[in-house]
Amino acid sequence: MSLLAGLGAGPAGAAGGAAVVPAPRRPTSRAWLWLLLPGLVYLLLLFVVPVVALLATSLYAPVPGGELGQYAPALRVANYADALAAFWPQLTRSFGFALLATLAALLIGYPMAYVIAVRARGRPLLQGLLLVLVVAPFFTSFILRTIAWRQILADDAFVVQALQLLHLLPEGGRLTATPVAVVSGLTYNFLPFMVLPIYASLERLDPRLVEAGADLYASPATTFRTVTLPLSLPGVVAGTLLVFIPASGDYVNSSLLGNSTNTSMVGQVIDARFFRVLDYPTAASLSVVLMLVILVLVGAYVRRAGTEDLL
Amino acid sequence: MAGAGALELTGVTKRFGPFTAVDALDLVVPSGSFFALLGPSGCGKTTTLRMVAGLEHPTAGTIAIGGSDVTGTRPHRRPVNTVFQSYALFPHLSVAENVGFGLRRTRTPEVERRVREALELVELGHAGDQRPAQLSGGQQQRVALARAVVNRPAVLLLDEPLGALDLKLRRQMQIELRHIQTEVGLTFVHVTHDQEEAMTMADTVAVMNRGRIEQMGPPAELYEHPRTVFVANFLGQSNLAPGVVVEEGGGTLGVDVAGHRVLVPAARAVAARGTVLVGVRPEKVRILVAGQEPGPGENVLGPGRVTDVSFAGVSTQYQVELPGIGTFGVFAQNLLGGATVPLGAPVRLAWAAAHTFALDGRDAAEGTTDLDEAS
Ligand SMILES: Nc1ncnc2c1ncn2[C@@H]1O[C@H](COP(=O)(O)OP(=O)(O)OP(=O)(O)O)[C@@H](O)[C@H]1O
Ligand SMILES: [Mg+2]
Repeated sequence: MSLLAGLGAGPAGAAGGAAVVPAPRRPTSRAWLWLLLPGLVYLLLLFVVPVVALLATSLYAPVPGGELGQYAPALRVANYADALAAFWPQLTRSFGFALLATLAALLIGYPMAYVIAVRARGRPLLQGLLLVLVVAPFFTSFILRTIAWRQILADDAFVVQALQLLHLLPEGGRLTATPVAVVSGLTYNFLPFMVLPIYASLERLDPRLVEAGADLYASPATTFRTVTLPLSLPGVVAGTLLVFIPASGDYVNSSLLGNSTNTSMVGQVIDARFFRVLDYPTAASLSVVLMLVILVLVGAYVRRAGTEDLL
Repeated sequence: MAGAGALELTGVTKRFGPFTAVDALDLVVPSGSFFALLGPSGCGKTTTLRMVAGLEHPTAGTIAIGGSDVTGTRPHRRPVNTVFQSYALFPHLSVAENVGFGLRRTRTPEVERRVREALELVELGHAGDQRPAQLSGGQQQRVALARAVVNRPAVLLLDEPLGALDLKLRRQMQIELRHIQTEVGLTFVHVTHDQEEAMTMADTVAVMNRGRIEQMGPPAELYEHPRTVFVANFLGQSNLAPGVVVEEGGGTLGVDVAGHRVLVPAARAVAARGTVLVGVRPEKVRILVAGQEPGPGENVLGPGRVTDVSFAGVSTQYQVELPGIGTFGVFAQNLLGGATVPLGAPVRLAWAAAHTFALDGRDAAEGTTDLDEAS
């Protein structure tokens, strides 16, 4: 319903705008409606319908005396309280891990993007090569890469052995099944989503502005802080969102690299509730909570970053 | 004079691969002077300024500002500011923040007051809170000017700072710039390809061509005593005719130009023997119609025919075809109204011998191409 209302608001809004600033040629064609149609149908079927179903499921109640996995439509709001009471550690851990992974990806990804966009400027071949290297991990499957990480971080692999040799890891210490492994996996898997938007921002940055900074007595570090960084902020905002959102709902990394009680994330819980315990209402209510929290966090972040006028 | 220069370039060369953009440039800009670097597009003006600002490193040579060598100094440590040809305003900062950028870096007190004054100077006092993108091209250019001037640098580098302004604002800003320069006593290096702007504003003009300085001096001297074909044609226009020196004596050269004897003061001749190019400015030349005779001490060429008459308001510009010599331009003041000589009329040309100059004849081959370019 809200979709139809939105459709109705489109032309009305346009007409209102035209009344304030009279446009010389008012578009009379309705072609844009037809152009929008496939996308709207797609969204309706694959987003709106599932979300409505999810909301409904989150309020289902068990059938009295029914079998495992039997639920009936209801309005059992207590599902949310139960789910939160039981799984709040996993929920907060998810956002904690996602935040750490986002920060790590930013710290690793910004310099990478800077080197490709600024240092390699004017050498398109080198830039192309480096960009291919950034996206190259996508040529193999997400799962396979994460399994490879499990082998790299395994107890008998060289990383653990080297760390033990350097006494950075105690004898018998391990990396797999630790938060470090999960956060590393998240960082690694989502790094390209950080690098590419920052690269795009820096690539667009006019090098003459950096020269103007130097000409106006700003040292390279000051020029970076006052010119380069603010102008690349749209890329940073886009990159952090593209990493944080999927990372907070991820369950592949936590199940393949964590696999113990103190690393499980909410995605893993939803997966287990849904497919193993057949506890659909809890899985659904956790999903809804995850969605809402992300929405609120992202909204607050974008508002704080205040880069709308730069985007 | 060593040490008195606010800016000294010694043997400065810049090569981009095999291409030499600036070739062994020697230059002394006296402190407090208004110096114009004049030259056609691509002659290396911007590259020269960039080397002074430290944004480009010279392939060879040294640069000194205020007597101290800055050749290896980073740009942010040089006491110079640039008004960039492309403005290069910071899009994420307001106009006032742009102008205050340099002051904040040097921790100058009273940033706000200085910024306001600088903006008022360029008549943009009302635009401080706006973003550069909201301003017109000319307004942006003035912001760029304010952003550089406000720092009161030892040397201010201006790379065609008035290029985007309309004629009226351009004249006004020229006067304003001169005013700022004399009032604050800054040294200005002003790059332009507008010869009129260079001549009206500068104390010293350097004419640059292909990475070299062809001639340097006060505007009037450059105009009256051009030493190369390029300068003769780039700074104003010149009528040039090849000839051979046939006699010399008494401070005067006698030159044979296609059978006519033309006198040139020896002091105004770059070469005193062999083949030379005899030159005279078009506004110095008089048209003699049938029955008119030249006065004493005048050089005469012709007869020829008027091939073009064009009215240009204050003057009428004639083209006169002289057989065996070439086409001469004549600017006649419209004292009595419009054109007085009709198209196709048989005429002779006369001018005072004292206004004749002579260039080296070997310059000619190179000069002929530039002749078309300049006209
Ligand atoms: N970074 C560079 N790499 C290669 N060639 C360059 C570079 N910068 C300038 N050049 C060349 O050097 C020459 C001089 O350029 P410059 O920008 O100094 O010209 P200009 O005199 O300022 O011209 P204009 O009046 O058009 O601004 C040009 O032929 C240009 O192609
Ligand atoms: Mg230039």
